[in-house]
Amino acid sequence: MSIPTSIEVVDATLFTSVDPVILAGSACAVCGAHVFPPIESCPTCSSLDVETVALPTEGTVWSWTTQHFAPKPPFRTDEFTPFSIGYVDLGLVIVQGWLVGKTQWAIGERVNLVLAKAWTNESDTVFTFGFEAVT
Amino acid sequence: MSVKTDDIFIVGAARTEFGRFDGEDNELAERAVRGALADCGLTWSDIELAVGGTNGETKPDNLVSRLGLTGLPFVTVKNGCATGGVALMTARNGLIAENLDIACVVGYDNHARGAFNASPARYGLGDWYGATGMMVTTSYFALKIARYLHEHGIDQRTLGYASAKAFDYAQEHPYAWRRKPVSVDEAMDADMINDPLTRYMFCSPDAGAVSLVLARGSRAFDLCETPIRLASVALRGRRPGSFEVFSPWLSPGNRTSPSIDAAKAAFELAGITPADVQVAQLQDTDSGAEVIHLGETGLVAHGDQEAAYRNGEFDIDGRLPVNTDGGLLANGEPVGASGLRQVHEIVRQLQGRADGKQVPGAPRVGFTHVYGAPGISACSVLINEGAQP
Repeated sequence: MSIPTSIEVVDATLFTSVDPVILAGSACAVCGAHVFPPIESCPTCSSLDVETVALPTEGTVWSWTTQHFAPKPPFRTDEFTPFSIGYVDLGLVIVQGWLVGKTQWAIGERVNLVLAKAWTNESDTVFTFGFEAVT
Repeated sequence: MSVKTDDIFIVGAARTEFGRFDGEDNELAERAVRGALADCGLTWSDIELAVGGTNGETKPDNLVSRLGLTGLPFVTVKNGCATGGVALMTARNGLIAENLDIACVVGYDNHARGAFNASPARYGLGDWYGATGMMVTTSYFALKIARYLHEHGIDQRTLGYASAKAFDYAQEHPYAWRRKPVSVDEAMDADMINDPLTRYMFCSPDAGAVSLVLARGSRAFDLCETPIRLASVALRGRRPGSFEVFSPWLSPGNRTSPSIDAAKAAFELAGITPADVQVAQLQDTDSGAEVIHLGETGLVAHGDQEAAYRNGEFDIDGRLPVNTDGGLLANGEPVGASGLRQVHEIVRQLQGRADGKQVPGAPRVGFTHVYGAPGISACSVLINEGAQP
């Protein structure tokens, strides 16, 4: 699948599509386990028969926290402000990612996948993925 | 009391004060080893097997240049926060497998200030994971306890009870690092680090060393007035469904944990149940970890922790005193030393010579639990065979 070159992302292998944003995972042909990001062997059953798949883009907050101090490098940011991280239950797999738009959340809240600004690289904005509350 | 000659006992134990240390790492380790040898009246040349655990850059096997070039086999282990438990198991297994009588275990580290700074590549993760701020241990602990509190309907204030208990124990412990009492309210109202965990709910990396001398049953009672039998030690890794640090994904469905598996194995090997335990040490890297591990080891039913803390069950005169030296919260975490600190404290409690608060009533059965990245746990059961059941 092709990644549009107009949007710069933190790691292109995390996505099957950037516009619209869709995360890439691996599905095991033997045991059905789904993981994120894509990998070459199944950590559940050790099979090498895995394929890259598009993951669901909607889910619910499985757990959350807000990061109140700036992490040490290699964390990158233009200017630190507290931000939320969560695990989002996408049904097939629970994915860790940013929770964007606010810093207080509730487990079970419905969210969907978005692109979020990670940092500025010279003049280009670099994006990562995040989840925002469904309004 | 019947002692089998192939039973393994702890006959000597010593630790350094934990905190900041400016000297060379191996100097700290040497201090602990010499202390443990003195505790049982042995010298380095009596040791037939040594196991050293550290998570740092020093080489434990080079301790022989300080302790004596006796030609003994010296095994080094490095298993993150579970290093101490693995070192203990390695020494025990070595004594049995090679039919030896006496082994020395030492664990130590001397960490830089601040949270650990892990490299994504070492965990098989892309650079994006660190660059976007996911690779932070404190957020992992917060995410794990937030989910646990939710699943089991436990009030956040339980985290404050755990912190207050740790610092209360530490006040009277001469080797603990943070000995200033912290009230439940102070713990709850302190600066938020990662919701729901505040500043007083995390341990910090620091420096320290612990050493133990192990002996076979045929020698133990000559070397020590009250040898403590290492009834079992079990190490387990993660299975699908566990929730580990630095995980970009988790599997949905049933939750598993290496702590559940290691504790179950340790109890079965020792032929006891969690209800038999009279004093315990649990991995409390943060207050939430203690709450979770009370449940995962089977010492308390999931969801009953809040009431148990409130009722003082884990206090020195309670049903099950837990982390009586202040745990990691008050001792900090020199990773290689931490698991052996737990064993040191239990040995001292069972011998009736605790450094800090002594559990009353001559406890007979103790339990230790370490847990760490990338999802491993080691548990042990320790028994004073001379005490009345």
